[in-house]
Amino acid sequence: MGNKQTVFTHEQLEAYQDCTFFTRKEIMRLFYRYQDLAPQLVPLDYTSSPDVKVPYELISRMPELKDNPFRQRIAQVFSEDGDGHMTLDNFLDMFSVMSEMAPRDLKAYYAFKIYDFNNDDYICMWDLEQTVTKLTRGELSAEEVSLVCEKVLDEADGDHDGRLSLEDFQNMILRAPDFLSTFHIRI
Amino acid sequence: MSAYYRNNGYEEDPDYPEYSESWNRTRGYLKTQDYPYSPGLLNNSDFSKTRSDPYSAGSRSSDYPRSLAEPDYIGSWRTPYHPGLSREPDYSESQQSPDFAGSRSNGNYAGSRTNAAYFDSFREPDYPGAQGNSNRPGPRVSSNYPDSRTNPECAGSRIIPYRDTLLEPDYPEAANQFNPSNSFGKPDYPNAEDYWDSPNFWGEPDYPNAENARDHGSSNDHTPQMTRKVLSRMSSIQPSSHHEGDRPLGILMRENAYYPESIEMRSMEMGSPYGHSMSGAPRSGYVNPAYVGESGPSRAYGHPPYGDGWHKSPQGQKLIASLMSMTSRDRMKAIRNQPRSMEEKRNLRKMVDKEKSKQPHGTLELSCCAQCLNSISLAYRRPRSGLSELLDSVSLWQKTLKVIGGKFGTSVLSYFNFLRWLLKFNIFSFIVTFSFIIIPQLTVAERNTLRFTGLEFLTGAGYFTDTVMYYGFYTNSTIRHRIGGTSYHMQLAYIFTIGTCLVICLFSLLFSMARYFRNNFINPHIYSRGITKLIFCWDFTVTHERAVKLKQKNLSTEIRENLSEIRQENVKLTLNQRLTRLSAHLAAWVVSTGVAVACCVAVYYLAGNNSEFLESHRNPGAVLLLPFVVSCINLAVPRFYSAFRLVERYETPRQEVYMLLIRNIFLKISIIGILCYYWLNIVALAGESCWETLIGQEIYRLLLMDFVFSLADSFLGEFLRRIIGMHFIKSLGLQEFDIARNVLELIYAQTLVWIGTFFCPLLPFIQMITLFIMFYVKNISLMMNFQPPSKAWRASQMMTFFILLLFFPSFTGVLCTLAITIWRLKPSADCGPFRGLPFFIHSIYSWIDTLSTRPSYLWVVWIYQNLIGSVHFFFILTLIVLIITYLYWQITEGRKIMIRLLHEQIINEGKDKMFLIEKLTKLQDAEKRANPSSYALERRDVEQPSPFHAWGHDAAHDLRFRQSVQEGNPQA
Repeated sequence: MGNKQTVFTHEQLEAYQDCTFFTRKEIMRLFYRYQDLAPQLVPLDYTSSPDVKVPYELISRMPELKDNPFRQRIAQVFSEDGDGHMTLDNFLDMFSVMSEMAPRDLKAYYAFKIYDFNNDDYICMWDLEQTVTKLTRGELSAEEVSLVCEKVLDEADGDHDGRLSLEDFQNMILRAPDFLSTFHIRI
Repeated sequence: MSAYYRNNGYEEDPDYPEYSESWNRTRGYLKTQDYPYSPGLLNNSDFSKTRSDPYSAGSRSSDYPRSLAEPDYIGSWRTPYHPGLSREPDYSESQQSPDFAGSRSNGNYAGSRTNAAYFDSFREPDYPGAQGNSNRPGPRVSSNYPDSRTNPECAGSRIIPYRDTLLEPDYPEAANQFNPSNSFGKPDYPNAEDYWDSPNFWGEPDYPNAENARDHGSSNDHTPQMTRKVLSRMSSIQPSSHHEGDRPLGILMRENAYYPESIEMRSMEMGSPYGHSMSGAPRSGYVNPAYVGESGPSRAYGHPPYGDGWHKSPQGQKLIASLMSMTSRDRMKAIRNQPRSMEEKRNLRKMVDKEKSKQPHGTLELSCCAQCLNSISLAYRRPRSGLSELLDSVSLWQKTLKVIGGKFGTSVLSYFNFLRWLLKFNIFSFIVTFSFIIIPQLTVAERNTLRFTGLEFLTGAGYFTDTVMYYGFYTNSTIRHRIGGTSYHMQLAYIFTIGTCLVICLFSLLFSMARYFRNNFINPHIYSRGITKLIFCWDFTVTHERAVKLKQKNLSTEIRENLSEIRQENVKLTLNQRLTRLSAHLAAWVVSTGVAVACCVAVYYLAGNNSEFLESHRNPGAVLLLPFVVSCINLAVPRFYSAFRLVERYETPRQEVYMLLIRNIFLKISIIGILCYYWLNIVALAGESCWETLIGQEIYRLLLMDFVFSLADSFLGEFLRRIIGMHFIKSLGLQEFDIARNVLELIYAQTLVWIGTFFCPLLPFIQMITLFIMFYVKNISLMMNFQPPSKAWRASQMMTFFILLLFFPSFTGVLCTLAITIWRLKPSADCGPFRGLPFFIHSIYSWIDTLSTRPSYLWVVWIYQNLIGSVHFFFILTLIVLIITYLYWQITEGRKIMIRLLHEQIINEGKDKMFLIEKLTKLQDAEKRANPSSYALERRDVEQPSPFHAWGHDAAHDLRFRQSVQEGNPQA
């Protein structure tokens, strides 16, 4: 592994390796992807940890995200300030959680965040409506949407408080084995 | 806003005493906590009483904040922007705007997270409530408590004056007042203070050095945090007012439901400060509901200064302590699995490393050995990661798979993953056989005198017979290149290599099967067949624009179907209909089994007559007849089976797929079974010279013919189907990729390879090449001829099923076949490594005999005689395994019951909660009636929960978290 890269110090890379599910090579690849998003903005030298943020507009234009109905939410959840503008750390975090190696609980936690549109720590009726609308591109009528939401609450709401808490969500995710493979963005 | 600015400003002031920060924070927190209750204070002249409850935790734990908070209420009341009235209309109004999500989450949450962007949120016009709330420091600063407010940080240093001057008269009374209603019952204030502080992660006096470590940047963030809390609290009202905007009660309920959480959290912390410990499970940080309730929102947004703070809290400390006790690998894993931002994780890692490096000097507990291991593991870490990178670079087709996933989703991707998995399997087998059998044989190879025509590629006979490809070519002698040099016993090498290969295959199959089962059948009996999985399992892999659109369309269709099913649930079938359906199933089964049996019989007779047929036809291509027929059957019959769906009606598509799979696998496995029977019972006993090579050739031909048919099918069949579907019969449309059939083809080929490895050691290599080509062919065909599947497939469950199929009939069948070959059959007399032996296994026997003459190898003999060759050992082993299985089964049963009980408990407690909330509402109504006040105030009262209300809520939550809090609570 010729250590030709001078982007990160050895310690930085090590830290990234320990904090994400990526190998060094993948980290470098992700870095170059990140750098590619805004070449004039992102320096090629990260040894001094510059405080650079790539705006959401550029992030959302990545081919991995650009057609994802939840791209805005993903960016918001993972960005430091919730505005979708991402530092390299946020960027790596995002793909680490979305990687194949991330465990179910971690994925479920962030999925919950993504579906929790109003950030109130519960997926309520309104969040569900947003989700369904995004998923179906508004093809369902309002009545159908609300019926679907009621149905979902009916199925997944363990403590019957009319909204889904994180535990409800995790419990539900346990029963949907495909979640692990579908909550996954390849890079 | 200006207040905010000021707040930030003075916090940035480097001069003020460090530890006062925590005070400031505490106070701030309290205030935001208490704030909603302030109307209550004004309504009821009984000031201290109303305050008593919301404060109960805070006020007792630290007096000073309260003293500060008290004047604040007045101040805030005086200010024009009190949230009480303005809040509701504003929210409902903003709710009506369509881009609510965008503006809200973008503007406000964003804003509340950094200082720079912070002010944005205050410019937002429709947030007077939030503004009022967060601006509360403002009026305080400008009103008439100059010395306390202009420099609140001095609170710490001015503890005494404050208490004396401002609060002394008030405080005892308040304390008396709320003592009876105090649900936390915590007499020792100093402790309570610590514990109370802890959940807020805002740094506390117990960790002075942590405080010192805090830098300037972190210190100026506490206020935003508080406000963020306020904001998030406010925002929690939004959704409710969206739905129930016209019912103030709804808002009240919603707010209540959310609000007591922080109190509840506190009470938990107070009640059992350590009962809450991480106990070595770092994940509990986000599994625990209370944690999520409190720290969730801020944590998830990755607030760096916050990150700085949290690991100094007891939770952080405990986490670090639990991390310290782990091995470095586990620790890395645990850190990785934290749902925190990179910054926090990195800090955590740094902290742990620091602590770790401190430890040996301090405690000297680490033994020399452990240290040694530690350093070795550190030293090897780099090469190991390098190795994993190397392996990673071997992982093929990453890009292609990404494209496939992007266009067709996970389900089709699972086929390609399976293919790749099989390819890796074969590469491994090839490497093993190549290095241990083929290379040694090549060193002693004789010249091949047979002529090469080219047809051999199809038939596998002729020239290839005398190559390393087949069993017959291998020598039975000991390979020795120099006199006195190391020798290589070919017989043993052959049997051990094949054996090892199969054993490794067995284990890797077992492990991957176990992994899939663990991941995908965690709780099969409560599998939700409902709509939920459709909603929350959006396939994030799909990235192609058209595919996304198609998927969205399909999803809405599916949801609609699901809904219509729900609407007209359980349409009872009449007896007649059921009978028809049953008879259709029966007929389908009879026909399919009949066809399979007919195919088997045909193959058997064809194989039996094959030799005579070959006698009469001298053409070397004649040997291709049998594989051709078999491949034709494999191509045609599954399609015939698929056509059954026109007659049969299954309730769910999944049932249909499973039925199809079972029939197909039955067909394929029985054909292979018949062929094996023919090989082992007829070919092997016919007295042909070198029958092993003959079998090897047959298998080679079968495999190759299957490959050719697959190619033809992909290039011609699927292509023609697309042309027909696109241009001639438009109603057919584009076809969908039949995952089940394709996977079964792979399984069939793999079974052949496993059987054939013994007779033709190069077979894994051939399969490797075919799989490699197949990948590209299927990929091209997929891109050209297919459309994404319209149904949501349970891809992962299917994958589990596929591997199970690969394991159960296929691999176990192979093991049986090979066992019969090795233990029961006589190897041919004049070719192959086992020539001259009565059975294949005799090579092992004679080896053991040789070893027993050498004293240094007696342990091998002992192991063989007492373990491997001993019936008793296997009997006992089986018994033990059975007992363990039974125990585990019982444990599983117990867990199932436990899960059911817990589920019931959750439901019951949900009911409890609803009941209590109802009761509280009633009580509150009664109180209101008994305590008539002006309409406007009442309205406020409704909107902002009275202390009594909140207190009762606490009780409700106590019920939910029954840990230790209950004893002090009179109502519970």
